[in-house]
Amino acid sequence: MMDVGRHSKINLLTYSEIENIGGYIGNFQVTVRKKARYVDEKECNACAECEKVCPVVAADEFQEGFSSRKAIYMPFPQAVPSVYILDDKDCLGHNPIACGKCADVCEKNCIDFDMKDEIINLNVGAVITATGMDVYDPTEMDEYGYTQYENVVTSMEFERLISAGGPTEGHFIRPTDRKTPKRIAFIQCVGSRSNSPIGNPYCSNICCMNTIKDSLLLMDHYPGTEITVFYIDIRAFGKGFEDLFQRSKQAGVKYIRGLPGEIFEDPKTKNLTMLVEDTVANSVTDFEFDLVVLSVGVIPRRDSDLIQRLLTLSRTTDGFFMESHPKLKPVDAPTGGVFLAGCAESPKDVKDSVTQASAAAARAQILLNAGKINVEAITSQVLTDFCTGCQVCVKVCPFHAITGGDAKLKIPVEVVEAACQGCGTCAAECNFDALLMKHFEDEQIMSQIDAITGENAADKVVAFACNWCSYGGADLAGLSRMQYPTSQRVIKTMCSGRVDSKFVLHAFENGAPIVLVSGCHYADCHYIDANRWTVKRVDKLWDKMERLGIRPERLQLEWISAAEGQKWANTMKDLEKMREQVTQEEIEHAMSVLKEDREKAEAKKKKKAEKKTPVKEIPIEASA
Amino acid sequence: MEEVDYLCMRCGNEYRGPFDKLVPVERSCPKCNSNSIRRNKKKKKNPTASA
Repeated sequence: MMDVGRHSKINLLTYSEIENIGGYIGNFQVTVRKKARYVDEKECNACAECEKVCPVVAADEFQEGFSSRKAIYMPFPQAVPSVYILDDKDCLGHNPIACGKCADVCEKNCIDFDMKDEIINLNVGAVITATGMDVYDPTEMDEYGYTQYENVVTSMEFERLISAGGPTEGHFIRPTDRKTPKRIAFIQCVGSRSNSPIGNPYCSNICCMNTIKDSLLLMDHYPGTEITVFYIDIRAFGKGFEDLFQRSKQAGVKYIRGLPGEIFEDPKTKNLTMLVEDTVANSVTDFEFDLVVLSVGVIPRRDSDLIQRLLTLSRTTDGFFMESHPKLKPVDAPTGGVFLAGCAESPKDVKDSVTQASAAAARAQILLNAGKINVEAITSQVLTDFCTGCQVCVKVCPFHAITGGDAKLKIPVEVVEAACQGCGTCAAECNFDALLMKHFEDEQIMSQIDAITGENAADKVVAFACNWCSYGGADLAGLSRMQYPTSQRVIKTMCSGRVDSKFVLHAFENGAPIVLVSGCHYADCHYIDANRWTVKRVDKLWDKMERLGIRPERLQLEWISAAEGQKWANTMKDLEKMREQVTQEEIEHAMSVLKEDREKAEAKKKKKAEKKTPVKEIPIEASA
Repeated sequence: MEEVDYLCMRCGNEYRGPFDKLVPVERSCPKCNSNSIRRNKKKKKNPTASA
């Protein structure tokens, strides 16, 4: 961090928040609010005189509340820049000045009570999202008695208690009697790998090694301490991690596979007791400890929603930001020019975070050095003659790649090709056919439907599959030699969001008995949230089919990932059974009502167009 | 979270599940695992109306 602070080409904005991010790859406009710290950053030399005279005492957040700080304070010892900050919520002297002692003792006159937040506008080419993570709060887990028993602490609090820069200056004590604990328990997977509604299903990745490191630290500093680790599995999979685990065991740390059901406190001694089933030894044992450390998991930052909205990012079901592709683009966000690093993407340790951050920096550097980008050939194009400026496409575009448009002034929208990723949702949602999806044009897809349904349409299932997942799933089913009916005919689109309602209706009008729309699972959509629009469209189609007297079951929706070849095969078997049940009368009825409905809509559209643009007779004199 | 009625378009199973307009979740049938799930908007008959 010191190097970053000193680097001539790095502009470090601390105590600042992003207010807004606009633009696109290579051309982002970022609005930053640099909050008033009421201390002149350039002048402050961290002499600490102000802190000494400040009469306000508040809980020190960095020390997990184990010690106090003043209203004017250094956020943490290694803070960069190394300058003080005044907390205006705690300070007595801020507007109107009631105290002002810090300003009186500051020889360099660094304190400015009138300092205001500063708005900084930046133009940047790439954005790296490294917003970190939060720590799981075990308060809700009543069985472990956190906040109920003082001697139950989290692993974060333990770090402060044992740190030389901590509230006890490295003298390890327990909170109740301030004596060095002799028997310590570590409970793993607190808030992780849990199916409970108050836990998280994923592994937090870092807790096992953190506990092993802590146990070795304790054994080193306080030999003779009895340490017991209660675990589900010890996941020591990194380089040198297994060695560290073995060293910890050799040092005398006991590892018991099993978690305590409940922790009880002895009211007199404040010691903690628990009953644990050791699933390796197949025994149930009573334990008593002086201190219990809850090895808490990692959770996504609580303000991730804001970052997601600002950068149009996508999140997994765990809540962490999703990469563009887990193998091929592991540090790229789906939005062009945005990269991910560290725990913003998933829980990871320092080494992995540094590796990913270096990769993200390199990816950004490649982009900036090139000074130009190759735009994908599959992008949307506005047909300005048809565009009414209704802005439906602006609303649905997951990448904010469509701008402008005014329905009243008849100004057509514009597509920023550099930002467009080619999902085709805009073209599917446009009611005026004013957006042309290059390489996946309406005409091209309609022709494919015509070709499929040209002969023996009643024997076929028309399946729309997205390029990234469902088509991959179909491919895997084939490569794995999975057996499934041959009645399906696949039409590939980049995203299920491209499947226009009129494609589905056209297939039914041509006599298709069953139509399948398939795409990526919700959390895996390669176009952020384009498949949410697919669901809405399919919902509307089901309503319409019912209204027209067509069995809505004939339209099916399925989310199939590229790894789910079996699911594809099973779906095809189900659809084949459904196809066999569709009668010829049903097909013919659907064909006639859809044809009638289409002709009516076309006539209405034509009439409307004629009404809106009457042919004007221009007098010869006026035109001259 | 609000709970609404769903109908599986694959197996016909009717069930109640969570619904959030702002945070849509992937729907799948608890019986057949299909994703062809339609929100059942049929209005329930008011028992007092016929009386």
